[in-house]
Amino acid sequence: MIVKRPDLSFLKKIFFYDLIKGLLLTFSYQRPSANYTEQYPKERAKVAERFRGAPRLNNDPITGETLCIACNLCALACPEHCIEVGWERDPAGKKALTTYTFDLSRCMFCGLCEDACPTPCLELTQEFELSLYGRRDMKLDRQQLEAGVQPLIYTR
Amino acid sequence: MQEYAIDYVLIPLIKIGIVFGALSGVIAYLTLLERKVIAFMQVRLGPMRVGPHGLLQPIADGLKLMLKEDIVPERADRWIFTLAPVITLVPAFIVFAVIPFGPTIHFLGRDIGLFITDINIGALYVMAISSIGILGIILGGWASNSKYPLLGALRSAAQMVSYEVALGFSIMGVLMLSRTLSLVGIVEAQRDSHVWYVFLQPLGFILFFICGVAETNRAPFDLPEAESELVAGFHTEYSGFRFSLFFLAEYAAMIVISSMAVTLFWGGWLRPFSSIAALGFLDVIPGVAWFALKVVIFLYFYLWFRASWPRYRYDQLMKVGWQILMPLAIANLIITAVLVLAFGGAK
Repeated sequence: MIVKRPDLSFLKKIFFYDLIKGLLLTFSYQRPSANYTEQYPKERAKVAERFRGAPRLNNDPITGETLCIACNLCALACPEHCIEVGWERDPAGKKALTTYTFDLSRCMFCGLCEDACPTPCLELTQEFELSLYGRRDMKLDRQQLEAGVQPLIYTR
Repeated sequence: MQEYAIDYVLIPLIKIGIVFGALSGVIAYLTLLERKVIAFMQVRLGPMRVGPHGLLQPIADGLKLMLKEDIVPERADRWIFTLAPVITLVPAFIVFAVIPFGPTIHFLGRDIGLFITDINIGALYVMAISSIGILGIILGGWASNSKYPLLGALRSAAQMVSYEVALGFSIMGVLMLSRTLSLVGIVEAQRDSHVWYVFLQPLGFILFFICGVAETNRAPFDLPEAESELVAGFHTEYSGFRFSLFFLAEYAAMIVISSMAVTLFWGGWLRPFSSIAALGFLDVIPGVAWFALKVVIFLYFYLWFRASWPRYRYDQLMKVGWQILMPLAIANLIITAVLVLAFGGAK
């Protein structure tokens, strides 16, 4: 490869034109508005609106009962088969949700389960702090899913 | 007898204590300043966790370096390996014996000069002592018995030979103008001639500062420790406290070069336009503060250079040293000599 050097005039050379140009650039970056750093646990990163994070099973805000109708569509939609829906028939013959497990260790956050859900029950939230101490802990049960991931909020 | 003891033992001891303590503090916070300035120039924040805005970071760093395991390589020359950091550090500190921080002040009925001592060969002393530091680098690299330190040490030796000469020549113009080698005398000569020597010796100053940066092994002349090619250069095998001695020496040397640039070219402790009485209100700021301010500006330049410029290649370094800086320094010397002879000094 042939590197073409900038052809500086003699005057520019003896007054370090290119070096001073570099110095001025780095100097201008010192203004606080140029700073990119986010102080992570104290300042939380803003994720995109369509970000898909920790799953949550939503309850009806008025009655507090689950919105899940145990239709099993999420489990069918999941390409990784990481959702298991358990149900039983109630006296009226309708399906009622009993257990629900969501294996986070296999989940790839594609969001197909969320799209398949006919009620506003299953939601992939904006929470991104999903680290746990072992694979076994990553199998979330119904209670954990209804509570959702609670991030530890640090203050400045 | 009592008076003698106070004048020649007590007062110098107090001065040495103050200078040593202040210097250690300045070096500690210079490391923080370096990390902060370079971080801001790279659109980062730098240390933020230890204390507000990382202000206690130097203490944490110091503690870490003290407590770290001290490893001596098995095949190293143990004696020289131990001695090398000390050889580098001690000259960097004892140079401050002659650097004047401020004018003579009247305190408790005594005239106290704000310098440890004023010897009539001050500039020569600084040049001689500050060169010894590189000996420690060479010895450290050699004694480590490892390839990267050795390469760093070789580069350091070559760099010293190339830049020491131009450094010496570049201050000669100032010495001819002031007609003294005493650093206090040089500052007083600048006061009496009503002009800082940087305005009479601009080329001399630029050469001095370039050679000074090369002499202290700082970017863009940091070939002896070139981390991208030589791991860590001459201090690759050093760890813990011994490494911190090299580290201290490097920063002390930066302060030495900055202080020398201020003393020789930028009027030492003098306020700007020291001959204009209308600016007398500037005298409320003491000379020591003016000196410190100027030194900090030069230290900032060091950090600024490091954040902005890439390292010279080895052959470029040699070329700049021998083919550009040396001839320019000699030309500057000859022109200054002719002008001093023709006009009888700057006065």
